[in-house]
Amino acid sequence: MITVTNLKKRFGENIVLNGIDLHVNRGDVLAIIGPSGSGKSTLLRCLNLLEMPDEGIIEIGETKVDVTKMSRKETHLLRQETAMVFQNYNLFKNKTALQNVTESLIVAKKMDKQEAERIGKELLVKVGLKDKIHQYPATLSGGQQQRVGIARALAVNPHAILFDEPTSALDPEWVSEVLQVIKNIAEQNTTMIIVTHEMKFAEEVANRVIFMADGNIVEENEPKEIFHNPKNQRTKQFLKTLERDE
Amino acid sequence: MELSLDFGYLVEITPELLTFIPLTLFLAVISMIFSIIGGLILALIVRSNIPVLKQLATIYISFFRAIPTLVQLFLIYYGLPQIFPAFTAMTAITAAILGLSLKQSAFLAEIFRAALNSVDKGQVEACLSVGMTKAQAYRRIVFPQAMRNAIPASSNVFIGLIKETSLAFTLGVVELFAQGKILAASSLKFFETYLALALLYWIMIIVFTFIQQALEKRMEKPYIS
Repeated sequence: MITVTNLKKRFGENIVLNGIDLHVNRGDVLAIIGPSGSGKSTLLRCLNLLEMPDEGIIEIGETKVDVTKMSRKETHLLRQETAMVFQNYNLFKNKTALQNVTESLIVAKKMDKQEAERIGKELLVKVGLKDKIHQYPATLSGGQQQRVGIARALAVNPHAILFDEPTSALDPEWVSEVLQVIKNIAEQNTTMIIVTHEMKFAEEVANRVIFMADGNIVEENEPKEIFHNPKNQRTKQFLKTLERDE
Repeated sequence: MELSLDFGYLVEITPELLTFIPLTLFLAVISMIFSIIGGLILALIVRSNIPVLKQLATIYISFFRAIPTLVQLFLIYYGLPQIFPAFTAMTAITAAILGLSLKQSAFLAEIFRAALNSVDKGQVEACLSVGMTKAQAYRRIVFPQAMRNAIPASSNVFIGLIKETSLAFTLGVVELFAQGKILAASSLKFFETYLALALLYWIMIIVFTFIQQALEKRMEKPYIS
């Protein structure tokens, strides 16, 4: 379970998150959509404190923190509750696919190397990279790299996985294989928050959708409602613009 | 006029000169180790934005990059004991290592800073996002990647160090160059002696360059697509 209360973040004069309240249940797949600059990526990055929020309370799993008086230990604990899949994959360039997955297990969780490798191999098989286990990121396609990124996130067995536009940097040919992997994981009751521009995918995979604009959650509903029966004027406008582009 | 070049003499003194190579390498390697530690600390301070410390590190780098190595060695070996009598006990070899390390730390700090900056910020973020600490991120991911970028320039620093150990003779250390001077003065075969020295330095650096290339090749492996 994730609960966010009154989360605020500004970059200089620019208010990026204007007091966000959010609740995600275990097993939920929440999609966050909205125009660029609406604060959706920042919201996601505030949840694992890659961006430091200015104000607010974040509760994920066992860890609850008030960001204004958060210790280093609490920062670390909160980060351990989630794992992130990045737009640009951010695979460890000096590590093989398998090492990318096992790194956190061995280093952060102090797991036995053999046990970590067993889990790592299992996850790489799960994302369809059985024959790429010992390859370095530089030798993998974008789609393959992102699937390693997903396996790496799964390895830490997090309370929730945060997807930050996981297909935005991919060549079109690789998008579907990555989305398929995410769908498979979603079906296994993994809690996920996905910031995405893939509306069709959001509708298919999510059980709830949030539309954000100007640092606020403008509308929140089931995918069917948001995409086919939006209530808010901004949501309608946004979806209309997308239709025009297609 | 007869050209009086005695290559036999060159060959004859080479074994004796060879016995001084360990000292030269010792001076260079020890200075390099201290320089790497110093350079890394300086680079991290400069990147950290800790007030006062950062300014001090910047001044240090500026100063030690600017002054000639000889001036620095003399300042340490002949100058310091005048102000701090405790330094009277310092040996010439210690002074040479200290001087070379202080100087090359400043150069390496700049190389390391650039190398660390060249590592994508996303690498640390990825570490943090899977529950690693910042220290773990640096040790396991950032430093190894930065090292790859730092090796060519750092190798130049080490090559510089091998050559600069010859300056230790000005403090009275009998190392390779000093021994060459002694031999030349007694035999008056200046050309042969200094040519022997030149060739020995050259060979040392050729050997090191091989090591460097092997290291670079190994470090490059993950990045070849």
